[in-house]
Amino acid sequence: MKFSLRHFCTLGVAALLFFPFSAFAAELNIQSDTILRMFQRDTAADENAAVLPAYEYLQVDIENPDELGLAFHLYGWGRADLADNEYFADQSSGELLYAYFEYTRQEAAFNARLGRQYVFEGVANEALDGLRLSSDLGRFFSGSLYAGQQVAMTKQNGRGGDSIFGGRLANHLAGVYDLGFSYKKIRNDSTDAEELAGLDLALYLPANIWVRGFSSYNLETDNFAEHSYELNASVGPVSVRPFYEFFQYEDYFGTSANSANPFRFLASTGEELTIFGADFTLPLDALVLTAKTKFYDYKVLDDKSQYYAVLATWAGEGQSQLGAEIGYMLGDVAQNDYVLTRLFSYWDQLAEAPLDFVSCEFVYVAYDQDIYGEDRSLFASIGTGQKFMDDALEVKISGDYSKDPYFDEDLRGMLTLSYQFGKSL
Amino acid sequence: MRNKFLTFLALFILGLGLVACAALDSGKDLPVRHLSSEDAGGSTSKCTDCHEARGDKLAFGTFVHTSTWGSNHRQTAYQNEAVCSMCHQTSFCTDCHAAQTELKPSLKNQSDTYRQTPHRGDYLSRHRIDGRVDPSSCFRCHGNPKATKTCVACHG
Repeated sequence: MKFSLRHFCTLGVAALLFFPFSAFAAELNIQSDTILRMFQRDTAADENAAVLPAYEYLQVDIENPDELGLAFHLYGWGRADLADNEYFADQSSGELLYAYFEYTRQEAAFNARLGRQYVFEGVANEALDGLRLSSDLGRFFSGSLYAGQQVAMTKQNGRGGDSIFGGRLANHLAGVYDLGFSYKKIRNDSTDAEELAGLDLALYLPANIWVRGFSSYNLETDNFAEHSYELNASVGPVSVRPFYEFFQYEDYFGTSANSANPFRFLASTGEELTIFGADFTLPLDALVLTAKTKFYDYKVLDDKSQYYAVLATWAGEGQSQLGAEIGYMLGDVAQNDYVLTRLFSYWDQLAEAPLDFVSCEFVYVAYDQDIYGEDRSLFASIGTGQKFMDDALEVKISGDYSKDPYFDEDLRGMLTLSYQFGKSL
Repeated sequence: MRNKFLTFLALFILGLGLVACAALDSGKDLPVRHLSSEDAGGSTSKCTDCHEARGDKLAFGTFVHTSTWGSNHRQTAYQNEAVCSMCHQTSFCTDCHAAQTELKPSLKNQSDTYRQTPHRGDYLSRHRIDGRVDPSSCFRCHGNPKATKTCVACHG
């Protein structure tokens, strides 16, 4: 089912009408981001046809900021193609990303959510329509449980016979360790689509050293899908994060009906990918220097790749930042090789200027092997904005230019109107 | 194996039910919302400016938003959803981790260059290589029938 702007408005109004405002002093907050993009494309209708998609991102929150209890949250987007030059498959599109009632208590950190929501925990990275409960279970345990219908499968023969349920049980000692066991099962059209179990671990050692890790087990294929573990430590002023990751494609991508191309075919390759490397971070007051190394090793393909990068960021007042990054991907096969250079800035300390911020970005990538006859891509963007109406309205304009394997020369513009509305109910 | 999981779930539901009638508080007493950066008098992304790295309630050192945080926060977030939600609404997460979206995060927030959003610049060309080298990183966000809508136009 597609959600358009009309659906968002209907849901928003329904939430306002049915919410028990009289029960407590609630506050209504609305955030609206209207984005108008402008660019040209060759379409079935015309060459260099103007494409003018208008997006609306609407967020509605009703809650008492001073007291826990009942709250309502809604967020979604809709898009209409104002030019209608057959660039998009559908002239309008949209998605209700979440809309749920939430009840929270300070005691035992109890939390209940009912409606469309996201669950990010353990083996779950899911959007679902249903109920989620979470709570402390005494001093050393906590847990969560969710059940409903998964949003991702709505286009697979409708929603009849679709279901998802799972949870995470954690044992922990605050500031020392956190050990979690999670489980998730998805059924599509009354048949099993995905069943995963996971183990996650965080161990906080003295001397600012900690270990964090995660393993997932595919109960459909009866084998481990992933092991990802990392260690964080300080060597003098330098933070070091060595890491190790291992993926078995058959078990990682083999999520039955819940999988999709281009990943579905990977499950049949029998490939095993091992990734290891380390990040090094050196903070020098406002300047932070970072080096990244990543090594990829493939068992079936009998191939290797490496990625090296250095990154420098300087942070000033507010959100002001300047940064530079150089990355080098090096593969056994030359078609994987590229050098990436990125420069960016964001400056919001413009006391004398009639603008609140100016930002720009420059990305240049040189490929060892041509892609569609081109061996490089150049991307540049610039943006600025200003707030009005006591900062309730922010107007941002940005433009970007790209010359790359897909576009000889591409110029795009974007206008964003962000409006915040708050009212006590 | 499956019977064990059903047993686990039944016990789990029982445990959650007990919360309703017993005081099973952990004693952590974490706030639901963190102070805003304005109220805190500065950026809240470096937790250890105010908190002990290995505190009594949390190991705050593990939540410091370093310059690699954008690509390394997965495991921390999957263990500590409640801590993330102290500062971030779910809409912040769904800029990247949405069931279905058309605007990639670096485009929706094009002016916010200080955010280390993924897929910056001409990623259409670069994804051919990154996807070949490590498809597991693509799968986390694009690995279901709805989220893969942007992929199927070319990949079938």
